[in-house]
Amino acid sequence: MCQGVALLESEMPWFLVEQHARRIHRRGEGVEGELRFLYRDAEPMLPIWHEGVWRVVRWGNRRRRGKLPPTGWTWKDTVEAGGWTSFGAEPVNILCNLAMDKGVWFRVRQGIRGLLVRDEMDDELCVYMICEPATRYYSIMTRSDRMPTLIQEVI
Amino acid sequence: MAIGHLDADCFYVSAERVRDEWLEHRPVAVLGNNGACVIARSYEMRECGIRTGEPIWDAVKSCPEGIYLKRDFAWYEVLSRQMLNIVRDISPLVEYYSIDEFFWLAKSQSSPVALRDRIKKETGLPVTVALARTRTLAKLFAETVKPFGAIEVLTPEHEKQLLSELPITAVAGIGGRRAARLAPYGVRTCLDLIHMPRSVVRSILTITGERIWWELQGRPAMPIQNQKPPAQTISRGGGFTATDDPAVIYAWTVRHLERLIEELNFHEVRAGKLSLWIEYRDVASGLGEVSLDSATDRFDLLLDACRDALRMAWRPGMKASRIDLTATGLRGPGLIQRTLFEPESDPRKEAIFDLKRKVNAEMGRFTLRSGATLPLSELYRDPSCNYDICDVRGKICF
Repeated sequence: MCQGVALLESEMPWFLVEQHARRIHRRGEGVEGELRFLYRDAEPMLPIWHEGVWRVVRWGNRRRRGKLPPTGWTWKDTVEAGGWTSFGAEPVNILCNLAMDKGVWFRVRQGIRGLLVRDEMDDELCVYMICEPATRYYSIMTRSDRMPTLIQEVI
Repeated sequence: MAIGHLDADCFYVSAERVRDEWLEHRPVAVLGNNGACVIARSYEMRECGIRTGEPIWDAVKSCPEGIYLKRDFAWYEVLSRQMLNIVRDISPLVEYYSIDEFFWLAKSQSSPVALRDRIKKETGLPVTVALARTRTLAKLFAETVKPFGAIEVLTPEHEKQLLSELPITAVAGIGGRRAARLAPYGVRTCLDLIHMPRSVVRSILTITGERIWWELQGRPAMPIQNQKPPAQTISRGGGFTATDDPAVIYAWTVRHLERLIEELNFHEVRAGKLSLWIEYRDVASGLGEVSLDSATDRFDLLLDACRDALRMAWRPGMKASRIDLTATGLRGPGLIQRTLFEPESDPRKEAIFDLKRKVNAEMGRFTLRSGATLPLSELYRDPSCNYDICDVRGKICF
């Protein structure tokens, strides 16, 4: 499953770039930097577009606190079956230009579908990445059996 | 008059960069039909040692910073035809050699730099353009100035100077085996080949080699073809994840048959013979060939032939990884020899096939397809799988 995303510096508001400057990574000399958000980070976070505002919020519940599932992903089927209704979850777009699965970086055109919930333990917003069974192409490309649900795109 | 040659620089990657400019200067690879192999890579990725055809799992190890993209032939064709139109604007005789490579008859005042810059400006694609006295020379000299190069070599002196520096294997059509046959004659460079007697070249390299010999001397021996010659054979096929599931193998066969019939219809020909070739992972490949009683493009008759051919090529329990269907004995509608055992016309079936053609023309390929392809439903759900490089029509070369 998708373990990270990257967003070009120029696509993010400057104040968020400054806040997350430690995440800036360059793929080559003289190339514009990209902000990387990885699940394995000490503080896993994801950039989202919510109610017309850019935010960088916690990615899932890796700390295993409270009632939220202790993971960073949720199945699309679970969302559609109403499995998140009791949490007051709402759909949100995870913004990125690239995503990474098992070390393979691939382009994302519009973003990834996510689910935003409020962690009642510390009144903090957190986002889960929505995923679905991988297509044949994706599973060969990444050797992964689940893929992120992309916005208006299929790999 | 001269011959022009245009070759787009790492075309698929450049095409992706046209719509996503931020990919510039980053290591980028485009993956093939199954998502397993690199079919094009940027110069940045070449620096990591990635080669065309390399499996992605190896490429990721050598180039973990690489960005891997799914191919999109429909988009590549759009850009290819834009380039073609620009070249047609400057020449009355253009050969659409391949999706990213053209030859044309150039006027004396043509400037390769001007054409290269015009294509970059109008399409966003970096290309290399060469002008020379023959197509072999133009293609050869273009390689020396890639990427984003432009070169004009129109005098024998200039040609000889460059040919003396180019190994014989740089010529398209002379690979390792032919070079080995030339080595005992002391042929190392392109200039060495020119100095060989024509009769010796012909005896070693046949008529193909002789044509190259003429062309390297600046004498055109390979004409520009502005139209694809009528097909002698039509094939459709491809590789897939190895399987021994008969339903899946049959589904691939039927998918290729439907694509083959589309192509027969496009060229307005019917097949007199059908061959089916299966590549197995662990055993020798299998071949089945069926001659049809009468040349046809009817799905039901060709499907019957396919089943017979499949039985011949079938290795029960063995994992198949590729199937190719080839139609030969092609006949145009007015050239069909009727037989005593002509299949009966079936107006009901004809009406169904006609409806299928119309629906697919109107609603998109494979909107109506055989139920035998149901095991491949996932493939059909992805529209990009319904358009392959061989579907880009009019090219001389694959």
